[in-house]
Amino acid sequence: MEPAAPSEVDALVEHLFRHSAGRMVSSLARRLGSARLDLAEEAVQDALVRALRTWPYGGVPTEPAGWLFQVAKHRALDLLRREASLRGKLEIIEGEPGPVVNLDVADDGAVGDDELAMMFMCCHPSLPRLGRIALTLKTVGGFSVEEIAAAFLAEPAAIAQRLVRAKRQIREQDIPIEIPRSDEIDERLESVLDVLYLFFNEGYSVHGGENLVRAELCGEAIRLAGILARNRRTDLPPVHALLALMLLQASRLPARVDEAGDLLLLSEQDRARWDQGLIGEGLRHLERAASGASMTAYHVEAAIAACHAVAPDEASTDWAYVLRLYGELLALKPSPVVELNRAIALAMVEGPTAGIRAIEGIQEHPALARYYLLPAALGALWLRAGDTTRAAGYYREALTRPSSSPERRFLEKQLERCAAL
Amino acid sequence: MAKFLVLARGTEQRYANRSPQEMQQVLQKYMAWTAGLRDAGRMLHAERLKADGRVVRGAAGKMTVTDGPFAESKEVLGGFWMVEAASYEQIQRDLANHPHLAAGSLEVREIEDRSAKG
Repeated sequence: MEPAAPSEVDALVEHLFRHSAGRMVSSLARRLGSARLDLAEEAVQDALVRALRTWPYGGVPTEPAGWLFQVAKHRALDLLRREASLRGKLEIIEGEPGPVVNLDVADDGAVGDDELAMMFMCCHPSLPRLGRIALTLKTVGGFSVEEIAAAFLAEPAAIAQRLVRAKRQIREQDIPIEIPRSDEIDERLESVLDVLYLFFNEGYSVHGGENLVRAELCGEAIRLAGILARNRRTDLPPVHALLALMLLQASRLPARVDEAGDLLLLSEQDRARWDQGLIGEGLRHLERAASGASMTAYHVEAAIAACHAVAPDEASTDWAYVLRLYGELLALKPSPVVELNRAIALAMVEGPTAGIRAIEGIQEHPALARYYLLPAALGALWLRAGDTTRAAGYYREALTRPSSSPERRFLEKQLERCAAL
Repeated sequence: MAKFLVLARGTEQRYANRSPQEMQQVLQKYMAWTAGLRDAGRMLHAERLKADGRVVRGAAGKMTVTDGPFAESKEVLGGFWMVEAASYEQIQRDLANHPHLAAGSLEVREIEDRSAKG
C-alpha cells in the first residue's frame, strides 16, 4: 500500500459495480458479437472478483471504472485465446479463421452507444417479452439472476432458464448488438420503452419495503431512459415522454408512506416532501416530448402526472383537465384500469355518484376480477357520498383480493374509519 | 507504538456467484475499515496473496518443491495488513468490526522489536 492516502480516494460511487458491469458487458459483447455474450459476461464477472480480492488490501485505484475495464478487456482476450486454442484442431478441418477482434476502443467515449445497442438487442421484438425483461436487467442493468428473481417474485431457476433460451435464440437468429437504422428506430424503440415502463411500474408498485432490489427498478428504468434521451439517435419525443412520466411519478416516492410505513392517499401526502428536483426535470422532459407530431400513451400519462405534480393540493388540482386526459388515454390505450382511473377523476369533477356509476359499468370486467383497487375505489367514493355501510362492504371485499401488506394495512385503516363515522 | 501483522485466513469464498451490487457492498465494508486506520496513519502496508503457491521442504540436496498451500480452504492465507497499535487491546478494538470476520478468521501477531533498546 502506498503512503497514507486520504480516505476519500476509497469512496466508491453508488452502484459503480452494477453500472460498470452493464457498460462493460455491452461494450465487450458489441465488439465480440452477440454469440459471445456469455464470454463477455464471464470476463466482466472475473474483473469484479479481482477488484474484490485486491482492493481491500491495495486500496481503490484512482480510476476504479477504468481499472475494471482494463482488467475485463484483458480477461476477455484471455478467454478468446483459450477458445481459439480449443478450436485449433477443428480449424484444420473446417478452415475457419480464428477470432479477429479489436477491443481497444472498448473504453472510448462512446460507451452510451454500447449500452444503447445492447438495449436494442435485449428488447428485440422477436424475443418473448419475459426474455427481454430478464436479459435487459442482466446485461445492461448488471443485476444477478437471484436479484431479477427477487424483483419479479420468481424462482431463480426460471429466470436462468429464460436467459438461456433468449441467448440461444439470439445466437440462432443472429440478432446483432446494434442501434437500428433510422427508418426502423421508431418501431424498435417501442419494445425498449415497453420494457423500461414495466421496470418502473414493478418498482413503483407498493411492496413491503423489505424488497430492496425491487425498489431499485425505478432508478434503473430512469437511468436507462436517460441513456436513450441523451443519445442523438434516440433523442425522440416518446423517450422524453416516458422519462418525464417516470421522473414525475418518482418525485412522489418519498411522500407516499408515513413514518410507520403506511400508505398515504394523494390527498393525505405532505406535498412539501415531493422531490422538486425530479418534478423540474420531469417537466423539462415533458416539454421536449411535445416537440414532435407523435402522441403516445406516455405523453398523456406524463401530462396527468404533471397535473398532480404542480398542484399545491388535491382541491386545486385541475381535475377537469385530468378527466379529459384520461379520455385521451382511453382512446390511445383502451383498458379497464384506465377506465377505473377515469372514473375516479370523474368523481372529482362531478361528484362521487357519477364516479360510482362509471365504475359500476366496468365492475364485471374479467380483467378486474382480482383487482383490489376496484372495490377500494368504490369504498372511497361511497365514503365520500356518506354511505359508510356500503363503503365498509367494498373495503371488506377489497381485502379478499390479492394485495401487499402495506396495502392491506391501508384497507383496514379505511374500514376502521367507516366504523367510526 | 508496536507493529502488528493481521493475517486474513479463509477468504476464498464464492465471490464468483455474487452480484455486482453485493460485491460492491462487501468491498465498501473493507474500504471503511482500512480508511479509518489509514487516516490515523496506522496502516503501514497491505498485500493480497495469489491463491496458488509452492511449499519448499528438505535440507540441501534433498529439497522438494510441491504445489501449495496445503491448508484447508478455511485456513488459507489470503492477505495481510501491517498495522501500528499501542497494544493488543487497541488492535483487538480495531478488529472488532472487521468485515473479514464474516468470511473467515484473522490472526494477529506482534512484530518483535529488533532494536537494541528492546
